[in-house]
Amino acid sequence: MNFQLTEEQELIRKNIREFAAKYVEPIAAEIDENERHPTELFKKLAEGGWMGIPIPTQYGGSGADYLTNAIVVEEISRSCSSTGFTVSIHVGIACMLILLFGNEEQKKKYLVPLAKGEHMGAFVLTEPGAGTDVMAATTTAAKDGDFYVLNGTKTFISNGPLADTYLVFCWTDKAAGRKGMSSFIIPRGTPGLIPGEHFHKMGLRSSQTSEVVFKDCRVHKDNLLGKEGAGLTNAMTGFDHGRVGIAAQSVGILQAALDESIRYSKERVQMGNPIARHQAISWMIADMATDLEAARFLTYHAAWLKDQGKPFSKEASMAKLFAAEKAMHHTIKAVQIHGGYGYIKGAKVERLMRDAKITEIYEGTSEAQRMVISGNVLR
Amino acid sequence: MQRPSALGPYQKQGIPMLDIIVCFKWVVDEAFIRRTSSGDLDFSSVDYKISEYDRNAIEAAVRLREECGGSVTAVTVGPPEAAKGVKDALSRGPDRAVFAEDPLFGGLDPSQTAAVLGQVISSKTPFNLIICGEGSGDVYSQQTGPRLAEFLGIPCAAYVQKLTVKEGRVTAERKVEGFIEVDSLPLPALVTVLPDIATPRIPGVKDTLMASKKAVIKVGKNELTAVPPPLLKTKSVRAARVERECEKFTAEVEDIKRFVAALQKRGVLK
Repeated sequence: MNFQLTEEQELIRKNIREFAAKYVEPIAAEIDENERHPTELFKKLAEGGWMGIPIPTQYGGSGADYLTNAIVVEEISRSCSSTGFTVSIHVGIACMLILLFGNEEQKKKYLVPLAKGEHMGAFVLTEPGAGTDVMAATTTAAKDGDFYVLNGTKTFISNGPLADTYLVFCWTDKAAGRKGMSSFIIPRGTPGLIPGEHFHKMGLRSSQTSEVVFKDCRVHKDNLLGKEGAGLTNAMTGFDHGRVGIAAQSVGILQAALDESIRYSKERVQMGNPIARHQAISWMIADMATDLEAARFLTYHAAWLKDQGKPFSKEASMAKLFAAEKAMHHTIKAVQIHGGYGYIKGAKVERLMRDAKITEIYEGTSEAQRMVISGNVLR
Repeated sequence: MQRPSALGPYQKQGIPMLDIIVCFKWVVDEAFIRRTSSGDLDFSSVDYKISEYDRNAIEAAVRLREECGGSVTAVTVGPPEAAKGVKDALSRGPDRAVFAEDPLFGGLDPSQTAAVLGQVISSKTPFNLIICGEGSGDVYSQQTGPRLAEFLGIPCAAYVQKLTVKEGRVTAERKVEGFIEVDSLPLPALVTVLPDIATPRIPGVKDTLMASKKAVIKVGKNELTAVPPPLLKTKSVRAARVERECEKFTAEVEDIKRFVAALQKRGVLK
């Protein structure tokens, strides 16, 4: 058993930590407050090759592994969860799905600019009536010669307002059940693809989220991602990869909660002592540190399995479930440690607590993760 | 100790290309040093990094190469664990590295470091300009650069904040005690540089991955003539202690008098 990261992974962690401290941390509160997508920051991330880490260099990526990507998402999220997540969904789902299921031409046309960070990707699956119940989706793609005509409404689409490349999942043959859904790569500007306005959210506020509406949107059959009918399988593979990213994001949030709690509890004096010396506080911090380690190991293990070419669906769900729930639990504790100061806008722990909640909801709720895990262990 | 010929065969041929050597040290990252209740320093869980000043020196070397052409070789002396530092250095732009490696090289004093660097450089690496950080991030003795120049018998300018190379000479702008001195040195020469010389880049993902593919020449202790005995012995390292009395004064006349008296009592005012 080897718990040692490679020298490259360790150096990359140091570098992204320095990058995050220099460019992400100083703007994190502002972009949260103003719900702003920091274009200038993503340009810098693209320059450093941080937007396509596990994508091979011939497709515009950096050619590292998926564990390195998880480490980077974690470290960015430690400074700004919104930014970490935007990298995560762009790389973990949009880029990875084209890499895994796209043909050579699609990879050259769509993956290269995505992996270089020149374009942003979006994963377009959820609908107003179809969250955990993916089969309840109603968006359709009707065949018309060499074209498909899409109609329907998707919602809660991360990067929805700003993406250049949308990966869209809809029914090509509803009667075929699980084999009736297909996935398409649709570039922004395609007539009939209508991105909506940014939703105002409780947390993760600088990540841009919207509806995406399809109104007689005609796409050529060349835009099919994988075979017709493979949409659901593609989506589930996307989730497996994406969940490692959300787990990493949650680990970053947890680490930040621990960093802030340690710093504040050593400074804050009550009843003649720093509150870190009060057992009520120090035990909260002990639990936080322990759960952080456990969440990190689960996450890295899932990423490592992926890099070894082994099945990792169950482990990705376990990592995502555990890390997300612990991030929520401990960011509440971190605010408690900060007392009134933690409840004031501008306190980092206040933002962490709001940002943590979504990790229990998106890319499969905690309940959906338990369905995946129990389905795996009970079969 | 017998010194090898200061200038290697490359320099003797008078080749005009700018071949830069940049020296760096792999030091303890002070953020990980813990202070025990007895005032001792606990190094048990420390991580390491390239000395801050040296990161700027590497950046200066790489930018100079981008401007003038030529090559950059990163050179370090250290224990085997410093291999990670070699990779880190290479990810910042140098073309190759020379690593003088031995378990004992973790605790050399500046005169020893300079002697090892000098032997390695004169035997392994053609150069016409050597750049060092002004001092190391750990002990900051500021001696290694000048001692290395002395060892190689080449001119040296320390505390340089701006560098230009033209027609076989380096012009070095030195920041010293409130004024700026401009020196012109014939190449080959050595300069120690201030952090102002260049802000280091943050290596991208590919830079780090590519670093593993660059050439590293390893030099063992047995390939060197004897390392001289240290001139400096560190007897102990302890945490600095600051005593605070936490006396409070207001802006009232009585308090101001009390404040002045307190300063006088402690010898701050006479």
